[in-house]
Amino acid sequence: MPAAKDHQYYDLVVIGGGPGGLTAAIYGGRARLKTLVIEKSLIGGLATYTNEICNFPGFPDGIGGLELMRQFEKQAKHFGVEFKISPVKAVSLDGDDKTVETFRTVYHAKAVVIATGGKPRLLGVPGEELFLYDKGISFCATCDAASCKDKVVMVIGSGDAAVEEGLFLTKFASKVIMSVIHEEGHMDANAVAQQDAMREPKMEFRWNTVVDHFEGEGRLESVVLKDTRTGELLPEVVDRCFYFIGYLPATDLFRGQVTLDERGYIPTNTRMQTNIEGVFAAGDVRQTCLRQVATAVGDGAIAGFEAERYIAELEVYEKQLMQAELPGMIYVYSPIDQRSRDFLPVVREIERHFAGQVKLSLVDTYKGECLAGRLGAVDTPSLVYTRNGKVVGKTKVLEPQRIEASLRDLIEHEEFELAE
Amino acid sequence: MTEKTLDCLGEACPVPLIRTQNALAELAVGDVLVVEIDHSCAMKNIPEWANKEGHNFEIEEVSDGQWELVIEKTH
Repeated sequence: MPAAKDHQYYDLVVIGGGPGGLTAAIYGGRARLKTLVIEKSLIGGLATYTNEICNFPGFPDGIGGLELMRQFEKQAKHFGVEFKISPVKAVSLDGDDKTVETFRTVYHAKAVVIATGGKPRLLGVPGEELFLYDKGISFCATCDAASCKDKVVMVIGSGDAAVEEGLFLTKFASKVIMSVIHEEGHMDANAVAQQDAMREPKMEFRWNTVVDHFEGEGRLESVVLKDTRTGELLPEVVDRCFYFIGYLPATDLFRGQVTLDERGYIPTNTRMQTNIEGVFAAGDVRQTCLRQVATAVGDGAIAGFEAERYIAELEVYEKQLMQAELPGMIYVYSPIDQRSRDFLPVVREIERHFAGQVKLSLVDTYKGECLAGRLGAVDTPSLVYTRNGKVVGKTKVLEPQRIEASLRDLIEHEEFELAE
Repeated sequence: MTEKTLDCLGEACPVPLIRTQNALAELAVGDVLVVEIDHSCAMKNIPEWANKEGHNFEIEEVSDGQWELVIEKTH
């Protein structure tokens, strides 16, 4: 029988240690939330797979992906963020006590930021499964280029990543064969990268091709391409094959809890909220139009900020609104609404009238709708009555005499109930 | 259950991964292998491989740029 799991408690748990997750953690840590980042492998995520990042503002000469992410991590640690490196096995995101489990520990959180990014897309062709990662199919030129010195490698794809990483590989390999699905001369990469690639003598192109299957004895030995026009099979002997054909969102863990779009990405609103209260998404995993370090950072900042706000509201709700010492009267109002403003001094007067027998709390919906949502009172102005930390009545009818009668009832009768 | 430590400090990819695969192959189910690494590339390919194989693991960063991978053999 496996040992009982250890339980640990945090305010904010961020799943994924790439730029989006690290930024959310920086905002959480800075707001003094007890924050944990759980990452399955190297802190920095996909950004660490890029040799040079040229479009992250602040680094006019470019910066290595790994180096930039080390700085993010350092900044998060500076704000007291803790890190755990282990794959997440299960999550339970509904309700106020959310849990994220690794194989040894159950982490409890008030709010969760999902920043799991993507995983490399596979082709699903015969032989692929046999040669993944260490057996010859790779997804990271930065990681594996050194082992390709003076060898022949193949690159699948023709986007920015394929062409730029392919060019990087020419510094090590004797030959880099690019398999491109498009007509001769057509690539998806930016124009500058395409020009550089066409001029590079070590680079060769196989236009109009896709991978048919992989062959090898234990290790990858050849990639068999197929000409998309003729169907002809073209075997190429290579030492290693690199995929740069895009990513799939890493959202399998959340399926059935978090709403996903048809491609598996997480839709959010502009506040990075998912369909579950207190669960936010940031970075590549989110349904968005651009996936860059710069965009992940923006998402992460919002997610971290919103998580902080959510937790603060949760505490106000539990400690203030649902206080059990006195019968409570909660005034839900909006300061931009005239009726709301006019009635504010009236409720204060009523509280004074009941001197010490009733506690008045104010919920300003202009600041945020979360508290009003929790109370189930969306109309402003309105009143919510509580007793022993529970909502016992609500009303939109704001007449001082009726309110005072209700309060007398609330104080005197245990069984108080107010029909709306 | 036994625990074995594998020192891969100073070794570049793919050496730590290959040594990890060989060392784990010699252990029994439930045994734990602690791999010491200081090349960041091994922080990608070893967890990727361990995840794909379904072994349990946790990693501690013992100092700046140096890690201990604790791998529990599950099958």
